Amino acid sequence: MKKQMSDAVSRRAFLRGAAGVALFATSGCEKVEDWLGMGPDEGPVVPPSGDGIDLISHVLNRVTFGPTPSEYARVKAMAGSGKEAVSAYLEEQLEPDEIEDKRAHRAVRRLEAIHAPLGEMYEYKEAFLLEQLTRATLIRATRSKRQLFEIMAHFWSDHFNIDISKKECRWLKAADDREVIRKHAMGNFSDLVRASALSPAMLWYLDGRENRKRNEDEKPNENYGRELLELHTLGVGGGYTQQDVMEVARCLTGWTVRGKDRFFKGKVEFDSEAHDDGAKLVLGHDIAAGGGEKDLEEVLEIVCGHPSTARHVAQKLCVRFIADEPSEESVDEVAKAFSASGGDIGTILRAVFATGEFLDGARGQKLKRPFEFIVSALRGTRAKVSSEMDLVDYLVRMGHAPFQYPTPDGYPDVASPWTGTLLWRWHFAIGLSRNEVSEKIEVNEEELIEKAGGIEGLASCLLGRVPSVQEKAAMERSGEPLALLLASPGFQWR
Amino acid sequence: MAMKGTGIISGNGDEQRTLVVVFLRGGADGLTLVPPVGNREYYKVRPTLSVPEDELLKLGEANCGLNPAFSGLHQIYRDGGLTVVPAVGSNDDTRSHFYAQDLMEHGGQIAGGWLGRFLRYREGSPPSALSAIALGKAMPEVLRGAPAATVMESMDTFALGSGSGSTAVLQKELGALYGLEENILGPAARDTLEALERVEKLRREDLAPMNGAEYGDNAFSRGLRQTARLVRAKVGLEAVSLDLDGWDSHFAQETLITPLMTRLSDGLAAFHRDLGGLMENVTVVVMTEFGRRVAENSSFGTDHGRGGTMLVMGGSERGNVLGEMPELETGILVGPGDVPVVTDYREVLKPILIRHGAGQSMGDIFPEA
Repeated sequence: MKKQMSDAVSRRAFLRGAAGVALFATSGCEKVEDWLGMGPDEGPVVPPSGDGIDLISHVLNRVTFGPTPSEYARVKAMAGSGKEAVSAYLEEQLEPDEIEDKRAHRAVRRLEAIHAPLGEMYEYKEAFLLEQLTRATLIRATRSKRQLFEIMAHFWSDHFNIDISKKECRWLKAADDREVIRKHAMGNFSDLVRASALSPAMLWYLDGRENRKRNEDEKPNENYGRELLELHTLGVGGGYTQQDVMEVARCLTGWTVRGKDRFFKGKVEFDSEAHDDGAKLVLGHDIAAGGGEKDLEEVLEIVCGHPSTARHVAQKLCVRFIADEPSEESVDEVAKAFSASGGDIGTILRAVFATGEFLDGARGQKLKRPFEFIVSALRGTRAKVSSEMDLVDYLVRMGHAPFQYPTPDGYPDVASPWTGTLLWRWHFAIGLSRNEVSEKIEVNEEELIEKAGGIEGLASCLLGRVPSVQEKAAMERSGEPLALLLASPGFQWR
Repeated sequence: MAMKGTGIISGNGDEQRTLVVVFLRGGADGLTLVPPVGNREYYKVRPTLSVPEDELLKLGEANCGLNPAFSGLHQIYRDGGLTVVPAVGSNDDTRSHFYAQDLMEHGGQIAGGWLGRFLRYREGSPPSALSAIALGKAMPEVLRGAPAATVMESMDTFALGSGSGSTAVLQKELGALYGLEENILGPAARDTLEALERVEKLRREDLAPMNGAEYGDNAFSRGLRQTARLVRAKVGLEAVSLDLDGWDSHFAQETLITPLMTRLSDGLAAFHRDLGGLMENVTVVVMTEFGRRVAENSSFGTDHGRGGTMLVMGGSERGNVLGEMPELETGILVGPGDVPVVTDYREVLKPILIRHGAGQSMGDIFPEA
């Protein structure tokens, strides 16, 4: 850790000098780009040498958006054996705050709208906010060294999905991303649910702001209450009834958010006049009358501590990191860690990574979703990207643009819904390797091959294993090894 | 009956249905496309822009008819293949092209378009490589969110890869590698390559339209012709989006939109004729973001209004008028004097989507309706 920091400092000192040189020498331009976070991969490239995907490559496939050419060598050098190296790497990734990440941070800091205080977000055009948020998401996924953190942010964005085009979510989703998803991505699950429940964007998205009971005739709006139980916590079949949904909705009556036509727009507040203050019964727990805004805390305690919640979240994490259909044993182990730690996300992830199925189960059998495919291609080719928006067109055509999933369940995390996207994956693979995606996205195939010691090495870096006889032959015959590799079946899986 | 010597695209038998959405951008004047019958108020407020009653094409006993420029469509109506919907629209009252188009294409305040959600949530096997095609330069909002959608200006420009250089070798090598896959990507790749090959074959052959159909030489008709070829080639086409622009007739409306109406009608009639019996599995929906003000303005044009027109053409239609033209008196008009929305556009779309296999997914396609 210390060493990385001093590296960063010395690079900065070097760059200060280089910036002056850049005024006179065009070769200095690259260094300026580096300063902005688009620099080339440093470090030696050591291609994986196993016939099958080895443990290090497997772990990089699953807990990152795909290895960069030198990442494998870096992890390998962390310890003597693959197992120890992976363990050291996971420990590093489980403490994201300790990882120096200035380059990605700097690149994102330039996107001023997403850093604005809540109320000021309304001063931006909706399309501009979406653009900045999308760019930030792509920059972080591609360049951040806190890869596991970014994977988790991605995971929770789906778990607590908000469609940015609904009403005032257009302005408020960026704050949800910052204050809910990213703030708690590696924290505690209960804090995450609490933050989401009181997120201005969520109050708009699932109509919580309309959930009120001011008189006998008014019926609470059940939308958020239902999704809280069905999607965010217990899960379908988690043992709640329609009565529980209604009772949860009653508990949450009165929480609302100020609209853009008022002062303090986006402010979340509790209107006790609109709160149903009677006694409630939620999942067998009595909630006494007169609890007011404290009802929310009681509900969150009940649902976050429910064993079905541990199982539901464990199931989804296993689907993300292990397999489309993980074993009962793995889910049980992870659920146990969830309950025992009181929802500590780091502890839960350690349990996922400790399952036999994660370490020794099938490798390369999770289909990359389109976003993961594109980002892994950019990382694997160390592409220089100076216009992230040129990538969005591809994401839209593959139905995977960030923050644009219409229903509260989030983008699916299993293979079958994505099989229709091959054509666009091939388009992208060919476009990227031929430098035809955009003038502002650049890949140097020759240099990649040279650094990897030949096309076989390039293939090993991208596939996490030595290419098969057929893959090697196809690469050679195609005359475009990089395009073929990125489009090949091997690169579609992680 | 699979074509001999070619593969079959899975999940896409000969019964595959295709939905073609034609969007008339700019807000087409419903009272000119589908003028009222026997309505004195209409002639009073439209001294120059009304269609004389003896010229309009009658739709049975309905209180509206078709513009004389729609002779081709009128024939299809009489043959039982066209449904006409007057006074249809959305709940948008901004009268802004941008908002109204967005709302209608999204199907409410929700991410992505209703056609995209239909493809994502409908029952049956997942969409294939060429399930959805937008004929044009950019992805229209209505298809946004589809699991996969292809934008092409014409089949002649459509090929793998985005620019220079052949991809034939790559395509062949990819076919070989994916052929070894024993998981779900194997069949998906085979479908994709098969669809690419069929498009390639179509391009080479450039077959003439069937049944003596003649398409005009304009982008809209060319788009319909491409669509007919793709339907016939069975590339797995489920949804097509196609625009006909230029309906924003604030000034000299008649000069502006009469040629567009002719283009619309002649294009659709050629398409109908070209596909013949295959129209049984094809539905064409024509829609526009809003209709226009009832009274004409001082520059022989009309301004943005509310209720407009939809047309539905296809083998399953039976020659109907859905809903009716409302009276056009002051008390009935909305806002600054606009045709009220009698029929919500989603109510027209729902039965069509059901017929195209939406199954139980309507709540996801139109969550607000």
